[in-house]
Formats: sequence, structure tokens, C-alpha cells
Amino acid sequence: MLFNSISFFIFLPIVFILYWFVFSKKTSFQNAFILIASYVFYALWDWRFLFLILASTLVDYFMGQLIFKSPSGKRRKTWLWISILFNIGLLGFFKYYNFFVESWIDLLNTVGYPITNTWTLQIILPVGISFYTFQTMSYSLDIYYNRLTPTKNFISFATFVGFFPQLVAGPIERASNLLTQLSKKRNFDYRQCTDGLKLILWGLFKKVAIADAIAPIVDDIFANYTDHPASTLILGVCLFSFQVYGDFSGYSDIAIGTSKMLGIELMSNFKFPTFSRNVAEYWQRWHISLSTWFRHYLYIPLGGSRGSKLSSVRNICIIFIVSGFWHGANWTFIAWGAIHALFYIPVFLMGKNRIYMNNVVAENRMLPSLKEVLQIISTFILVTFSRIFFRSESITDAWGYLKRIFSDFSFEQYHHPLGYRMIDYFILLGIFILYEFRIRRDERSPFKFKSRIVRFAAYTLVILSMLLFFDDTTDRSFIYFQF
Amino acid sequence: MKKLIFKSSLYLFLLLITLEVLVRVFYLGKDNPTRLLDEHKVEKWKPNQHGYSVTGNRKQNFSEFNINSSGFNSYREFNPKHGKIEVALVGDSFIEGFHQHYYNSIGKKIEKFIPEIEIYEYGYAGYDFADQLHLIHSYQKDFDLIDHVILGIKFSNDLERDTYEVVTSRLALESPLNKTLKKSKLLVYCSSIGVLDPPQIFIRKAINLFRPKQKKELVNNHITPKDKEELERKYLANFEHLVTKYGYDKKRFTLLLDTRITPTLFLSYLKENEYSYIDFSSSFTSSDQPTTLIYDRHWNNHGRELIANVISEHIQKKRLISQQFICDF
Repeated sequence: MLFNSISFFIFLPIVFILYWFVFSKKTSFQNAFILIASYVFYALWDWRFLFLILASTLVDYFMGQLIFKSPSGKRRKTWLWISILFNIGLLGFFKYYNFFVESWIDLLNTVGYPITNTWTLQIILPVGISFYTFQTMSYSLDIYYNRLTPTKNFISFATFVGFFPQLVAGPIERASNLLTQLSKKRNFDYRQCTDGLKLILWGLFKKVAIADAIAPIVDDIFANYTDHPASTLILGVCLFSFQVYGDFSGYSDIAIGTSKMLGIELMSNFKFPTFSRNVAEYWQRWHISLSTWFRHYLYIPLGGSRGSKLSSVRNICIIFIVSGFWHGANWTFIAWGAIHALFYIPVFLMGKNRIYMNNVVAENRMLPSLKEVLQIISTFILVTFSRIFFRSESITDAWGYLKRIFSDFSFEQYHHPLGYRMIDYFILLGIFILYEFRIRRDERSPFKFKSRIVRFAAYTLVILSMLLFFDDTTDRSFIYFQF
Repeated sequence: MKKLIFKSSLYLFLLLITLEVLVRVFYLGKDNPTRLLDEHKVEKWKPNQHGYSVTGNRKQNFSEFNINSSGFNSYREFNPKHGKIEVALVGDSFIEGFHQHYYNSIGKKIEKFIPEIEIYEYGYAGYDFADQLHLIHSYQKDFDLIDHVILGIKFSNDLERDTYEVVTSRLALESPLNKTLKKSKLLVYCSSIGVLDPPQIFIRKAINLFRPKQKKELVNNHITPKDKEELERKYLANFEHLVTKYGYDKKRFTLLLDTRITPTLFLSYLKENEYSYIDFSSSFTSSDQPTTLIYDRHWNNHGRELIANVISEHIQKKRLISQQFICDF
């Protein structure tokens, strides 16, 4: 079930009403109901893969107990490894098996041992597998590192794993945040609920009016990159940057908003990464739940930045490459991660990776300084450049795309494949960037206006934009569902 | 909770009102002219209507239409008389031309080429050959006064029936419920851009759930050459039947068709039986510019220009008018 589908807009009010009117008396009722709703939500896509979620839930529930109860470090480690291997095994089979087989055969063919590929399997990638396996693993890891006491309530734990707003594309929650909230009874809060509705509206706007509207242009340019001049290719990748941002952050906003309506606060996943002043800040603002996951559970256990500069650089390379690989079983994602490592390392070596951690651009001012503008533009260029690899089907395509930009620069006006005026999209993006800049201090309050009339006008314009840019020819699923 | 329900409902109501106003102010939703079934059971537009046709989001195509007193989209009234030269174009939405300003129609373009001629455009979206011949048959008195009649025909679409019957599904669009719904420009706009498709599909699926299940018939979508031949023969038989039933004046009537998409069987039949036709395929093929709109399959301005050109050439060849009236084209 997609957040931008009619089924969800029927499903959500039903869940909301039953949750607050029928099952609100006890925490256990609330959790049991959310669990059922979550499984229905997932089963509407493919009920067979519910067993995977259930298996992952059972394994980590019991491993969590065993890790906690085990007195010796060795035993704890064994239980932890069982949890990790099980989850990584699921991912490995469903997501990476074919990739490894194909890469191995390609390698053998390259070195002169031709082999016919008969081992690849027709496997459907279960939606959300990369997200919920990481979430359950974080639970076992937190218990192992003594950051968390395991829950004895299986329903609460199963709800934590299968919580429908964030089940299929995050944010990848930590038990310390989500499970703690699920252990307490939620009471209806008008303010929280309306904030949730506002976030859903803003998320839908980003998905429908930004991501889906741009999608046909990006698809056309990337699919036919050999026919387009360099100026169009640059336009294509720039628009893809906004598409993927609108798509994923839109999803996250809807997920956070939906949770708020159920009285649960999820962690922020995006904090206006477009306005990052260097690549390090970008990673503090983009897909926060994943980047912090890698920091807590991979980078720090590897030694983080405590060792020598060399070991720190090694650790940075590892987390970026693994992060790239997490996105998909394709060399393009590994290249994307490696490029980000290359961009990040100089910032780290100059000691500027944490300077923008606790502030936003133009912190106490209305407008950014010239220096900040230049920093934002240069970061955007770097990040956008890397997206050529993220979006291309293969390394060959990415390389071909890049080659056309750099070897044969020419300018030509681009025409929308469906005949729409391109200027409309530029105006929309311009307004979107300015608006996001205005609200940059608080990612959870997109409609923070004192005047009720202005707020109402903003809602109207957002809905009108969705109607103006709605495109029924686009595949409306979310990009991050494939990961 | 009460506050939430009350305020949400209020906001929703106000939002819908505001959006309705905005859609009207910016003219995003198209005007839907009223359909009519006249005394001859001819389906056409209710006479003397005026409005705007809008395609796509953000007024991708915006054009004015004018339904004349005969019930067809045209800048002129149809008033055939002896002593004048009139040519009728009969066809579907391609001739009707809601996607263009009514002053920029194919008929008007032909009149620019040949100023002394009057072109009557009997175009109506969805008209097939049965509709066309039934119209001519029903208004025979008028059509007898018209010097030449050109009938647009697409073999694969327009010959599915062998006799004329009122298309009730089209007229169902004029039901009181539909008429009421069409009063909301917001609803019309949302429907035209596809926003309402998912809920409509959802409702249809939900209704089907409660209907008794029918045994699924195995449908083979693959059309064999034999099937194709049979279908072509059937369409040809329909053509013959329609022509016999409603009459067809071979001297005055000409078909307008695209030979690229017309089977040889039909073309040979037309030649053998001395039915004249205008083929616009070569002018479309040799055009270095696109001939259709980007967002739909109708002819764009250039396409209409080419059509007007071939029709004008045909009129010239037929020597319906003296050479002195023909401008350079």
C-alpha cells in the first residue's frame, strides 16, 4: 500500500478512528491493534513476506533476551552474531544473492574462465527488508552494548518492528525511541495530531508536486542520455537531485505525520539537506536514520575517529561504501558511496566535519551570506554529481553520461516529453527552494505561520500545486521502496 | 477529538470552496457543452453554446469552441443554398476540433485557401461511419444542397457497426447526476487530469467484490492473420450495408482517409467500386514537423494545415469551383 494511494487514504482514517475510539483504553490494546493494522498494511502488498518480518521479529526478540541474560561476554557475542547473521542472511539472499553470483561469473569470464550463468534466481525483493532488518539488528546491538534492556512484551516488540508508517522505507528507528513509546499508553493530543496532518500534507506535496512531476523528465533524460546535449544531461541530474529528495523526504514526512496521528514521535530523517554547507553537513541532514545507524553500529565499533588519521579514513571509506551497497545490489551504488567517501575525507582531514552540526545556514539572519551561498552551491554540485551513479542503470551508463557532459559540451533547449512548459517546473522548484529555506529551522513545522489566513493560504497553494503538477502517467511508487 | 473533527471538516469545506474558486478564476477546468438527441435521433450538441475546451494540467491546451445553431462546433452557421458552393466535412473529434480555436479549424483554413467556398464542419467526438451516414440521411434536404461531402473514416474504428443506433453510453453523460457533478469545475478538472481515476477504480473493484463471480472466459488477445482478415471482411460488409441502407452519392461524396492504416482489401474495394477518397498519408509522411499534438493524438495546427491543403487540392481537382477563386497554396 502506497502512502499516496487511495487505499491508504481509506486505511488511515479507519485505523485512526478504531485506534482512538475502540482500542485506546490499554497500551496492550493499542499495540495489538497497530500490529494487526501494520500486518494488513504489509499484506496488501504481498502477504507471503509477512513471514520474513515475523521471523526477523522472533529471532531478535529471543536473541535480545539471551544477550541480556548471558553472563559471559563470549555467549553474548554468540547470540549477537546469530541475530546479525540471520538479518544479514535475509538481506544477502533476497537482495544481494544474484549480484554476487553475477559479479563472480563476470570476474571469472574476465580472467579467462568462461562460465554460463545458471545460478541466478528469480527473487522478488521484499519491500522494506533493508529497513526492518536494520531496525531489529539495532535492537540486539543496543542490548549487547548495554544501552537497552530488552522488552518482555512480544506484542510491543513486534509492533516496534512492523510499525506500518515506517515499515517499508524508514525512518530506521531505534528501540530506545520507538519501543519506549510503545511501552506507554498514548493519549490523544490535538496539537500532535494536527501537526501530523500538516506533515502528511507537506510530504504529499513533495511527493506529488515535486518528485512525481519531475520524474518523467528525469526518466526521459537518463533513458536517452546518448541523444541529449550536455546541458540537458546537467539539467537531468539536477532535477533528479530534487526528485529523490522530494520522493524520500516526502515519504518520511508522511511516515512521521502518520505516527504523530497515532501519538508516536518518530525520529527526523531529513533536515533540509539542500542547504548543506559541506558534504559532512549534508550527511547530517540526509537520511539521518541510516547515517546515524552506520555511525553508531559500524563506524564507532570500527574505532570511529579515535585512532590514527589513517584508520579513521579507512573507517570512513568502509561506512560510505557499505552505505552505498545498502542502497542496492549494483556497482553504481558502491561507486556512489565511494565518491561520497572521497568528498567527505578532505572535510574530515580539515577538521570541518562537525562545525555545522548544531546550526543551520543563516542561523540568526534572514538571508545567507555570499560565502554560505557559494558553499551551498558547491555542496549541491558535488552531491548532484554523485547522483549520476545513483541513478544510472550501470557503471557503463554512468560513465557514458559523464563523458557526454565533459567531452562535448553544448546547449540546447529541452522540451518536456509530454509537451508541458519547462518554465513551470523551474518556477515551482524555485518557490519550493525559497519556501524550504524559510522553514529551514524546523523540519517538523512546514506551516508555521502566526496568521491563520496565511496558514490557510499556504494549505490551499500546496494542494493547488499538487493538482497543477499531478501526473497520472508516472509510476507513483516511492524510489526508496526498491532499496 | 471533537475539535479535530469539527476543524478538519471546516478546513476541508473551506479548502474545497477556495479551490473551486481558483479553478474557475484560472479557467483550469473545461466547459462541457450539453449533448442533444434531436427529433431524427441524431446525437449532436445543443445549439448555440459557447465555452472553452481545456486539456491537461496547467491549461496545456486552451481553446474556445462555438456550437452553432445546427449543433456543431463552427464559426459559421450552416445555411446551404443553390448558387453558393458548400462543402461539408463530416467526421469525429478530428473534424469537430475542440482542441483548437473554432476560428482556426480545418474548415476555416480551407476557406482561406478558397475564399469563395463555405465549409460546414459536421464533426462530433465519437462519430463513426454509421453516425455520419445517418446524419446525412436524416438531414437529406440540407445535404442535397451541399455541393460536396467529405467523410472522415478510420477503417479500424469507424466500421464496427452495420446500422445506426443511438449510443446510450455517450448520452448517459447527460444524466442529472453527471450534469450536477459537472457544475463543479474542480471536479471536472480533477477528473480530466486523472486524479479521480484511482478512487473510481477502487469503487469499481469494491462493487465487484460484492457481485456474484462470473466464470472467467479465456480470452486470447493474440490476433492471428486469419482473425484480422475476418475482421476486415466484417468491416467491409458493414460499410456495404451502411451505404446501402442510408445511401451514398458517389459523385458528391468523398472519403478522407490515411492509407497507411487502411487495409488493402478496403482500398481495392473502394477503387473497384469507384468510391473516391482523399489520402492524406503522403503529406503527413513527408512533413518535417510533427502533425499531432504532444499530449493527445489529434492533429496539431500543422497537421490541420496539411489536411486543409489536401482537401483544397481535391476540391480544385474536382473543379467544383472555377480556377479564378483558388488562391495560391
